[in-house]
Amino acid sequence: MRREISHPTSKCLGINATDGSSCPACDLLLASCLANFFSSSSHVCGHGRRQRRMKVTLVSRSGREVIKGGIELADEATVNDLQEAIHARIKKYYPSRQRLTLPFLAGSKGKPTVLIPKNKLADYCDGNTNNLTVVFKDLGVQVSYSTLFFWEYLGPLIIYPICYYFPVYKYFGYEGERVVYPVQTYALYYWCFHYFKRIMETFFIHRFSHATSPLSNVFRNCAYYWTFGTYIAYHVNHPLYTPVSDLQMKIGFTFGLICQISNLYCHLILRNLRSPSGNGGYQIPGGFLFNIVTCANYTTEIYQWLGFNIATQTIAGYVFLVVATLIMTNWALAKHRRLKKLFDGKEGRPRYPRRWVILPPFI
Amino acid sequence: MAGFLSALRRIYLSLYNWTVFIGWFQVLYFAVKALREGGPTTVYDAVEKPLQLAQTAAVLEILHGIVGLVRSPVSATLPQIGSRLFLVWGILWSIPETRTHVLVSSLVISWSITEIIRYSFFGMKEALGFAPSWLLWLRYSTFLILYPTGITSEVGLIYVALPFIKASEKYCIRMPNKWNFTFDYFYASIIALAIYVPGSPHMYGYMLGQRKKALSKSKTA
Repeated sequence: MRREISHPTSKCLGINATDGSSCPACDLLLASCLANFFSSSSHVCGHGRRQRRMKVTLVSRSGREVIKGGIELADEATVNDLQEAIHARIKKYYPSRQRLTLPFLAGSKGKPTVLIPKNKLADYCDGNTNNLTVVFKDLGVQVSYSTLFFWEYLGPLIIYPICYYFPVYKYFGYEGERVVYPVQTYALYYWCFHYFKRIMETFFIHRFSHATSPLSNVFRNCAYYWTFGTYIAYHVNHPLYTPVSDLQMKIGFTFGLICQISNLYCHLILRNLRSPSGNGGYQIPGGFLFNIVTCANYTTEIYQWLGFNIATQTIAGYVFLVVATLIMTNWALAKHRRLKKLFDGKEGRPRYPRRWVILPPFI
Repeated sequence: MAGFLSALRRIYLSLYNWTVFIGWFQVLYFAVKALREGGPTTVYDAVEKPLQLAQTAAVLEILHGIVGLVRSPVSATLPQIGSRLFLVWGILWSIPETRTHVLVSSLVISWSITEIIRYSFFGMKEALGFAPSWLLWLRYSTFLILYPTGITSEVGLIYVALPFIKASEKYCIRMPNKWNFTFDYFYASIIALAIYVPGSPHMYGYMLGQRKKALSKSKTA
């Protein structure tokens, strides 16, 4: 551990080190230097030289200094140390709220380099190792992914049974007793199982690449899930609902169930790709359907909704299927592109194999 | 070949912009004429045909954006054209009881002045390669008044139409049906009204930003 202490009787800044490393000022092995004030497990260097420090200038994207005068850190400091220092100076900017990048040169291609917490700041300096300019962006209030997913799935889990069990339709002018078809009951079980499974996966299976998500996503995602949940629940549980044939219902739910179980298996595979220490990172997925399609988890998700719609046959359900497919296809294309770029076959890295992106045989 | 195509593009866009300009000019002319001769209740009948033509032609602009003929983002033009078509066909044409309302006058006058400026601005740029600075100023300043008057007229007319929509059951699809589908035009119109609440400040703010960019750029140019 390295720590700065001021030497009371000399002008130098002492270095107290216990890790057996070399003094950066004199390069002598610390154990061999004279110990002035400390026990043999530590060392104070008698040289009149300051330990090398670095200065980080923190600017916003418009160029304004976020912290006047910048931040001084040891030159061995990591990005994480910088994040903690920023948080110490400005309380509300906890690390997960900070987005730190290198200054983006106008006209250069691609996106600005994001600073990775584990890396040393010195790795991002080229040439002049004492000064680094870092661009800061406030990502806004953050919530954990578990929180986000829990709230967005809770709506469908509650609203759908309300439409099934309670006489809500009389507020739309439909009085009297309503006949409940078997398909409507199975649809209820299927739907609730689906969202219950999602909540369980959120808490016990998923390993996220980022720890948090902006708070605004909670409102946006809840609007999406809760609105569509209500839209579908209203139609499937409607007093004037028209069921499909028994065979079609059975095919739909069976196919859907198989896809839901496959989807669970896909999630387990994805979980095992990431280490529990949770630093995200990407590996080439493999096994089961991942051998032929990059985002097999999205594929199975889309097909399980298809099963639900085959069984329940509502325009509302199909609209939801189309929108969800478009959203997931967008994500899948980005992920596929990212994996192909990362695993380009150069410098000893494996090459990403030829695979469908999300929906064979279309894309 | 590339030069030929870009010349073709310019000719096409010049023709398009000036043709629609004439359409909106007619709308304004007939509207003012009707106001002076017969009063607000006669405005709609006088402008109906050029209004429907000029506004519906704007659908081509979405196409222009998609194929890349123009730079405008589809995400900005789609809500604008959507609300215009909803008013012209979904409210005024579908619900005749709204046609004699005084808000029709403020609506078509707000729209036509804005569009006359906008189409002549683009028409000049495509045909002559530049647009005079007073036209640029008009394009990025008149919205300050015309957006509020136009939006108020749109919202007002939708609101006026609501009881008639409910009573007529127009465009409604009821259950039971094979696809378990329902559509209620009354509730859809209310949702459209609700969209104006966040939508209007968003559009106005967007135009304010565009104004700042355009007018400061012309100062330094």
